[in-house]
Amino acid sequence: MNNNSDKRRIVVTGLGIVCALGDNVDECFKSAVNGVTGIREVKSVNTDGCYANLGAEAKISDSELSDEDFDRSSLLCIKAAEEALKDAKYEITPENSERIGVIVGNCVGGAASIDKYFTDELKNGGGKSSDILKMPASAIANNVALHFGLNGTTANIVNACAAGTISIAYACDLIRAGKADAFCAGGSDSFSSLAFAGFHALHALDENPCSPFNNSHGITLGEGAGILVVESYEHAKERGAHIYCEILGSGVSSDAHHITAPRPDGQGQMLAINRAIENSGLKPSDIDYINAHGTGTAKNDEAEFLSLHTIFDGSDKLSVSSTKSMTGHCLGAAGSIEAVLTVKAVCENVLPPTIGYTEENLETLKEKAGNIDFIPNTKREKTVNFAASNSFAFGGNNASVVFAKNPHEIPDRTNNERIFVTGIGDYSSKGRIDIQSDDYKNLGIKMAFWRKLDRFSQLMLVSGMRALSDAKITVDENSERNIGIIIGTSDGPMTEIVNFQKNVVANGTASGSAFSFPNTVYNAAGGYFSIFAGIKGYNVTNANGVQAGLQSICYAADVLKNGDEDIMVAAGVDEYTDVTEYLYGKLGLLGGKMELGEGAVSLILEKESSAEKRGAKKYAELVGYASAHKSVKFGTLVGSEDALEEAILRACECAGITIEDIDLVCGFGNKKLSMSSCTYVTVNDEIGDARAAGAAKQAATLAKMLNESDKYKYGLAISFGLGGQYSAVILKKAV
Amino acid sequence: MANEEICAKIKAMLVENLRIPEDELEYDSELFGDDIGLDSIDSIEIIAGIDNLFGVQMTGAARENFQSINTLAKFVEEHQQ
Repeated sequence: MNNNSDKRRIVVTGLGIVCALGDNVDECFKSAVNGVTGIREVKSVNTDGCYANLGAEAKISDSELSDEDFDRSSLLCIKAAEEALKDAKYEITPENSERIGVIVGNCVGGAASIDKYFTDELKNGGGKSSDILKMPASAIANNVALHFGLNGTTANIVNACAAGTISIAYACDLIRAGKADAFCAGGSDSFSSLAFAGFHALHALDENPCSPFNNSHGITLGEGAGILVVESYEHAKERGAHIYCEILGSGVSSDAHHITAPRPDGQGQMLAINRAIENSGLKPSDIDYINAHGTGTAKNDEAEFLSLHTIFDGSDKLSVSSTKSMTGHCLGAAGSIEAVLTVKAVCENVLPPTIGYTEENLETLKEKAGNIDFIPNTKREKTVNFAASNSFAFGGNNASVVFAKNPHEIPDRTNNERIFVTGIGDYSSKGRIDIQSDDYKNLGIKMAFWRKLDRFSQLMLVSGMRALSDAKITVDENSERNIGIIIGTSDGPMTEIVNFQKNVVANGTASGSAFSFPNTVYNAAGGYFSIFAGIKGYNVTNANGVQAGLQSICYAADVLKNGDEDIMVAAGVDEYTDVTEYLYGKLGLLGGKMELGEGAVSLILEKESSAEKRGAKKYAELVGYASAHKSVKFGTLVGSEDALEEAILRACECAGITIEDIDLVCGFGNKKLSMSSCTYVTVNDEIGDARAAGAAKQAATLAKMLNESDKYKYGLAISFGLGGQYSAVILKKAV
Repeated sequence: MANEEICAKIKAMLVENLRIPEDELEYDSELFGDDIGLDSIDSIEIIAGIDNLFGVQMTGAARENFQSINTLAKFVEEHQQ
């Protein structure tokens, strides 16, 4: 390894887990390799009337997981992060705190608090408004950052069951891009009546403990959190940290097939796995172990079986197991818990098994396993140089990440191409959008498709399709894998979540709606959009307050610079319904303070080479983008103002300009900075408080103004997120 | 022609639970065809809805019973206690 490749090395220096197997890494790994199950009868959810009653609830007392300010998901995550930071001997100081951030995956957000609030509201005479701030997934990473005083960037990757793996991949990409020294990266999810009722309604729960690739009768739900301290090699070396292993490349893809079921041909899964292997500079035959997604549903197991056989049948040394047979399926935490177990396997050369095989099952396995060793029932001791962890999710999102025992040079596909805004899709309004069936018809979207979507997904679909159409992009077999999606939201599909939960509280866990459950995951909107548009590349949703609508542009630009895609759809989405009004009303924010709006605003960001090749029109050039964070309590901003200034300065540095060069600002300028000579515009009159949609609209407004007028050269959009996260984007008149 | 009252109840359930626009749903509309486009997840919801409304179990019922509101209503009539 030369000095230059050392700069791209990412290492794991700390690990933390809490799940059904234990509340620390050593206990969990020991149980996993010894085939000890964490699956038991469910205690925290009333399973009366349900055909299944098993789960893998975290092995930790409820008193350790109750707190006035934080939801159970945040508390699980803090518990795992505490172990990981201590393990990494990472001392947080005022000087280094802004170089370590938090990126965590999550599926159900503050589901335990949503359940509690509506149980109190419907049965106990009134819910506590403090529980409302615990509901959105947006809170989690910010709570973790606040608890440990971390002031690096935060993100909540809400891609359901793939979230825990994508968060690790994103953290590594940001470190390689020089935006941080380290992250607490991983995921968390709490056991919830929401998920139990939902998977029950879909008949996706196994009556018995799940045994993936074996019985494949369904999943067993679990809960927990897994955190890895991921760090640049140079930073780890400088502080003399113990290094567990290397993280090489990752791969993220979309099925563009179905909102809950994976593609039967495994094409999307294989794209993610192959991308991860290629981005690691490896061949399939190099991989020693895969911690599979292995949920235990027939559809997952069949598709993953096919994917693994197709890619690895030429290999004679691959071992595969699903630790979900012991931890249960921990949804947004799954990928992160499995990553921690995989890191341990790489370090200790022992692989956890998949449990639950009978003698008869073992005979069947012999027939179908081929060259692959599925590690039935008992651990496997072998040298593990390279291991991958797979995660696949609702919405057709796939992710894979590769770990290595020793340093290994990875291909550098980063590029410095210019990025242009080549399309805008705006579907937004102050107040509520009067959705017309013509809005769909004009885009060729049939009723049979859009009626399945909740409002949040409908907004995104129309906006995203309008943006593709505006940019004249044809998604076909030549381009489908080179286009990706990043969606930012503050509140996600809260209406569908609340209505699903209220029904479960009122009528019992067995009454969950199979129709609406798929829409309760935050990434459903991105899933439906990818399905309709046929987009098969990167696909991530980030819930991180209002500014998520601008952070999506930052994230999308990083994906382009990283060489993963040619074109990205970056969007901000938030809805306004009776539920929105109810929740914000209960928080006392309506009536003067906030005037709600809603919508989705999508921008097409495109590499210059792609835009030139297509002869695309260019609204503006994206020249600078940055995020900054100063941890304050979620729900507040006071005390975080320095991060606003920092985000603007970093964006200017990225653009190679000074603040004086900016002549147009959309949002709000920082009074501390000398920006008084700028023209200020706002989108609030048009869109009200549409949260992440408003933030994305700020950038879209700048792009249009720069395109239409010769008066301005540089435009700045800036936005905030509760808890102290800020993003800034600088657009330049296209020339 | 199936019982009007049963048909009306089923239609209301489909409109409410499956977000099918009321004016595009007739009693003889083909539910699993191209226009309305129901799928396997929707059929779970229909089974739950029919059970809820009429106490009639449709789990395992033959596919043709799910063809339209009329056929669903006919099944309900024949199986109501």
